Amino acid sequence: MSVQPLAPSDASLLELVDRLLNKGVVLIGEATISVAGVDLIYLGLNLVLSSVDALERPRGGPAGGGGSSGGGAPRT
Amino acid sequence: MRLIAHAITPAPRPRVAVRGLRGRPLEWLESAGLGIWSTRWDTAEPLAREDVLDHHRVIEGICAATPCLPVRFGTAFADAAAARATLDRRSDALRDALARVSGRSEIAVTLLWREPSGDSAPRPPVDDAAGTGRRFLEERQARWSASDARRRQAAELVERLVATLAVEPALVRHEICSSERVAVSLAVLSPTDQAPDQIASLRRFLAGLSDVTGVVNGPWPPYTFAGIDESGGVSAGSATRLPGWPPA
Repeated sequence: MSVQPLAPSDASLLELVDRLLNKGVVLIGEATISVAGVDLIYLGLNLVLSSVDALERPRGGPAGGGGSSGGGAPRT
Repeated sequence: MRLIAHAITPAPRPRVAVRGLRGRPLEWLESAGLGIWSTRWDTAEPLAREDVLDHHRVIEGICAATPCLPVRFGTAFADAAAARATLDRRSDALRDALARVSGRSEIAVTLLWREPSGDSAPRPPVDDAAGTGRRFLEERQARWSASDARRRQAAELVERLVATLAVEPALVRHEICSSERVAVSLAVLSPTDQAPDQIASLRRFLAGLSDVTGVVNGPWPPYTFAGIDESGGVSAGSATRLPGWPPA
């Protein structure tokens, strides 16, 4: 996966996803689960590298931006 | 069947105008003067990326109606008894946290460097006659100096942001230089009725910055300020991540 520059619009989504995945009340011990086959720790990046348009695509449409593969890259 | 948790709020059950994930019914389980909101979920059904943002939608709807502690995405309970047991065990800490965020919303500020790291920092002249070892050390020193300069600049930006906000330091959380492009990531817990003014004030401040470009988001539910003392942690036996994940 190539590292892409972080645009301000990406930053907004990244900030939100970071909060959803890493903040909030922790009621249990840390564990990694997957969403659509992507570990949560990488999901934020994959969401950012997809476009907001892809995220809002109707359910059942083609996935965007590497959401079906694991792995990750630096937050840049 | 499991319960995917979204938020914790005070009892009695408030009226909320939102449904659970994917439009499913939102469930309320009450104990110890608190309630936990969740969506009933088939254990065989995988979560999708869209569900992450849907979790945010659900939390926003709940927080619009009552003081609310967002629960980290991906938390699931085996059954109602497990969810209630969690409330019982951590009720004091949860009530304290609810009092802290009551009537407040989170505003997020992100500052991005306009130029890649190192370009703005002076580099020492490279001595062509120097050996590769010396050249390596000089270049490494230059990188460290540039990094230190950026951290100092980011820390100064945080001070100016906090001064602009005019809030108690305890209501601000921040990170600096968390990645190559991010100078500052800051969250402030603002009285909800003052959030629009705070956001406008922040945008005016950001418009005057030259080395960074800024983004203000929110008001959001108080994700960053919902943490509780984890010393009274709940055992994995009463609350679990959804079983079988990650899938083989």
